[in-house]
Amino acid sequence: MATVDIKKKDLERLFQKRLTRSHLEEYLSLAKAELKEYNIETDSLKIELSDSNRPDLWSVEGIARQMRTHLSGNPVNYPFFGMRKKHLREIKVSSEIKQVRPYIAACAVLGLRMNEDFLVQIIQSQDKLSEIFGRKRRMVSVGIYELDRILFPVNYMLAEPDRVSFIPLGMDKRMNLKEVLERHPKGITYGSIVSNFKKYPLLIDSNAQVLSFPPIINSREIGEVKTETKNIFVEVTGIDLRMVNLAINILSVNLHDRGAKIEPVLISYLYQTEFGKKITTPFSMVEPVKISTREFTKTLGEEVSPLEIRKCLVRYGHNVSVGRSSITVSYPPYRDDIMHPVDIIEDMAISKGYSSFKPEMPHQSTVGGLSETELFSDLVRDYLVGAGFQEIVSNILGSPEEFRERMCIDEKLIEIENVMSRSYSVVRNRILPSLLKVETASSKSFYPHRVFEVGEVVIYDPLQNLGSQTRLNLGALISHPAVSFSEIHSYLDLLFFYLGISYRLEPEEHPAFMPGRCGNIIVEEKALGLIGEVNPAVLDHWQITMPCSAFEINLDTLSTF
Amino acid sequence: MVSQRLLRWQRHPRDYSNIGRTAVSAVLNGLNLLTGETPVLLSFYTVNFLNRGTLHPEQEKILESLHPLEIKLLHSFRDKETLASKEIIDKGLIDESRLDMASNWLLKKGLIEISGEEVTSSVSLTETGGDYCKNNIPEIRILSALREGRSFTVKDINHTFHLDLLEVSSALGALKESGVIMITHGGFLELKSDKGTEEFESLQDLIGLIGEKESLNLGDLSDEHKSIIEAHHRKRGKSKGIFRISEKRNRIFSLTENGRSILSVLLKQGETGEDVSQLTPDMLKEGTWKNKTFRKYNISLSPPRISIGKKHPYREFLDFVKYKFIAMGFEEMRGPLIENEFWNMDALYMPQFHPARDIHDVYFTKEPSQCREIESPFGKRVAETHIHGGKTGSKGWGYPFDINRARRLILRSQGTTISARTLASGPKIPGKYFSIARCFRYDTVDATHAPDFYQIEGIVLGEEINFRTLLGLLKLLGEEIAMVKEFQFLPAYFPFTEPSVELHGKHAKLGWMELGGAGIFRPEVTIPLGVKVPVIAWGLGLDRMAMVALDINDIRDLFSRDLDFIRTKKIRL
Repeated sequence: MATVDIKKKDLERLFQKRLTRSHLEEYLSLAKAELKEYNIETDSLKIELSDSNRPDLWSVEGIARQMRTHLSGNPVNYPFFGMRKKHLREIKVSSEIKQVRPYIAACAVLGLRMNEDFLVQIIQSQDKLSEIFGRKRRMVSVGIYELDRILFPVNYMLAEPDRVSFIPLGMDKRMNLKEVLERHPKGITYGSIVSNFKKYPLLIDSNAQVLSFPPIINSREIGEVKTETKNIFVEVTGIDLRMVNLAINILSVNLHDRGAKIEPVLISYLYQTEFGKKITTPFSMVEPVKISTREFTKTLGEEVSPLEIRKCLVRYGHNVSVGRSSITVSYPPYRDDIMHPVDIIEDMAISKGYSSFKPEMPHQSTVGGLSETELFSDLVRDYLVGAGFQEIVSNILGSPEEFRERMCIDEKLIEIENVMSRSYSVVRNRILPSLLKVETASSKSFYPHRVFEVGEVVIYDPLQNLGSQTRLNLGALISHPAVSFSEIHSYLDLLFFYLGISYRLEPEEHPAFMPGRCGNIIVEEKALGLIGEVNPAVLDHWQITMPCSAFEINLDTLSTF
Repeated sequence: MVSQRLLRWQRHPRDYSNIGRTAVSAVLNGLNLLTGETPVLLSFYTVNFLNRGTLHPEQEKILESLHPLEIKLLHSFRDKETLASKEIIDKGLIDESRLDMASNWLLKKGLIEISGEEVTSSVSLTETGGDYCKNNIPEIRILSALREGRSFTVKDINHTFHLDLLEVSSALGALKESGVIMITHGGFLELKSDKGTEEFESLQDLIGLIGEKESLNLGDLSDEHKSIIEAHHRKRGKSKGIFRISEKRNRIFSLTENGRSILSVLLKQGETGEDVSQLTPDMLKEGTWKNKTFRKYNISLSPPRISIGKKHPYREFLDFVKYKFIAMGFEEMRGPLIENEFWNMDALYMPQFHPARDIHDVYFTKEPSQCREIESPFGKRVAETHIHGGKTGSKGWGYPFDINRARRLILRSQGTTISARTLASGPKIPGKYFSIARCFRYDTVDATHAPDFYQIEGIVLGEEINFRTLLGLLKLLGEEIAMVKEFQFLPAYFPFTEPSVELHGKHAKLGWMELGGAGIFRPEVTIPLGVKVPVIAWGLGLDRMAMVALDINDIRDLFSRDLDFIRTKKIRL
């Protein structure tokens, strides 16, 4: 999910129409976009794009394009895809780069009418593509340069970290590649992408000027774009050819929409790629999709004609040829999210408008019901409520202190590796700590306290496929000055009476309970839980100053008896 | 202190502004446990009179406010001008603890006054004194042993005579000082003189005397005895002592003029404070209820708080949702909290590089970190689908699928995981399923993010499933579960559904809001799991609705630890 900041005026200029707020929101839904904020004073819109497979929409140009296509009813076609031309600017890719960051795509952009807003948008697009689509530059990163300072062909190659130096953006001294990784803020942030290799990627022109050290940082001399810049050179490097190509396609159509002229660049590889050794980028990867009209009808739930399908898809940016009972769709080259006909069918539904489909109830009859476990759990909960207990709902995550140290228990628990907060770093394996947590917070609530929780716990069990068992437990606790073993025992006894299950207690020494006042709850020779007076040491750890008796029992096993 | 104020409060339950409500309940409970009486009986009645006589309004008010105990106490003055508290207790008119209470009330109302107060001190034995009474004081014990001719050293004394070190050293000191014994070389004790032992003997006699009577009035003792007691009674801060002196106050009460006139009205009316509040089984058995007057209660007073057994309000909300789903023909699904990435993401066609699988979105387990195996044949089928689309008619994601990544154990991050498992386990067709699943996300806990939370989601399978029945189902869920009448369907994106839709509804209190998301599962999800019919996947976001129903603003309150909060929280669906 991406969020972009744009100016409403800029959007309207690209959309070629003014927009009221309600119109704007309606049009935004075509792009699965949601208006998060609108500041009238600064004319700024904050827009959230939910489709993570549509990076072409993560810019003001992309949003405007999707809207404009709908308004005009026609797809925008970009002439520079598949353009055959001699004397193209060229990037020569060395063979050894294949091991490190094998792919590159680029284009030259001429005649920009740059201004402050535009520059901000270019930088935003570059950032979204590198950070989100490019997974923090690992998969894909974008570099932009002043075209007129570069002497082609440009070489994309590997360099010894300490043999090449240049002045990186944001610095005023030359640094070698090693120093960039060690000292430049971008080097520190992104260095791990290349630091495992002996040599690092480098873009260098025929004048031996360094363009950049991809994916880390541009050279200050060539790689700084200003508002006066008219002609720029855009390149994308990465480790996935489709993603690299898609990124340059998106950037080139965006800049084209701004009125610039795009000139393709020839990429010459010394090794074979999915699209050959010589690729002229921007490069269309579109493979036309043939879909029968029956499939549309079946998925959408209403008859649709090939012509209607065509009309809707064209308005959504596709090129469509109509057959007798099928259509063939060429999706636009700035998209690479069409994996299955259903993707086209959804586009058709969005273009037609979801509100134009009449909801119809699924009418096939089915029988509802609860799982055995849930039915049993409801039975138990009803008993406890009837017995005067207040139900508790607790969080399942807690701290190791709560589930282990305070309970005087030394058991293995499922712990979180990437801890966000120590307070929520362990999964509970009992309900009892959750109930004691309530007691700690509730000494001011009038006594007696009778509380229970039926809830999930996770038992560490390396023998299980998932290394654990998720169980449903019942924990019940009573607290008041004269609480006793026999009182809690009475409730347990009556519970078993009503469940119609026979049980017995077997004396047990358990650190959470008082010695000589604790028992295993045994059903058919299986120990299903514990009952007892809570150990004063445990109460002390929880800072509870009122005696407590409790039991805890496993319900999913009990429900099978 | 609180008890005293509480008793006042019990008579005027609305006037407890100066006393913490919780303190009141704690004391109430304490009283309950101590006296075995319920506070209701103790407190919430006042006496009403049919015939009020000739009192002025102030007096009438007082008369109405009288507690039976007060009436009883006033009655004790029938033929007396003054009464000593000792006398009242000794005659068994009112017991000690209640007398304090009743007299304080009457004092406050100005019906009686204190015309004198005497303090009597009595002396009794402490625990140590009791021991010395039985076994003699240490000095006597040592002397008798020496007289019997036994020989022992200083070191032997404490275990020979079961004395602690302090007792030994003070006894030896006293014996040496009075010149009765001496200590020879080797630490042996020896009798030095037969004289000088009177001090010890008279102390022993006095202990015997007090021990016999249990308690003696200090005033009745001779000066000699008094000075012995003075030397040996327990003083503050000292743990050992032989005698305990306790002081008892005997207050002399007399009726005020006001009290006198109230009493005369009471006498005229025959109010003795002995009338009956509680109908007992004996009265019914014996028929004596016929001759009794039952006090009338002031029923306009607030009752004391009690607690009852109650479902948790959030669970009540979830139960409501649960039973709605059953009513609509949905079957419940359950699944494990610790999952592998395979069922949580891979099976849902979320590519392994998907941002939602990031370390900042999902909680990974520390140990074990990997499951043992991915169930066959699903592992292979799903892998193929990710790589090149497999048999689904899709191009696939086109990246090298890592089965070890699929085995990574995590805390379930979405309820749809359970739907994926259901699809793989041979679901009914047509079929409808739901789950209310606890899920976990890597998020900072705040007013809108709980550390773990419930997701309500499910699937609907069948030949008839298409985009229109998807909308129809969502409309039904919106109407039945969210109780919303106006809807909007918006295009949406979920990695596992296509087409996808967001359901927005106009909630009575919240206005337009997102109620949930849904879509038709991609064939890349259903086909590898062995399902050949289209499947709707839906999920509802009901936490905001639950918060409205519970009238709270902080999502963490759904899982509150505060028992007062939980006990008093009501739910309005």
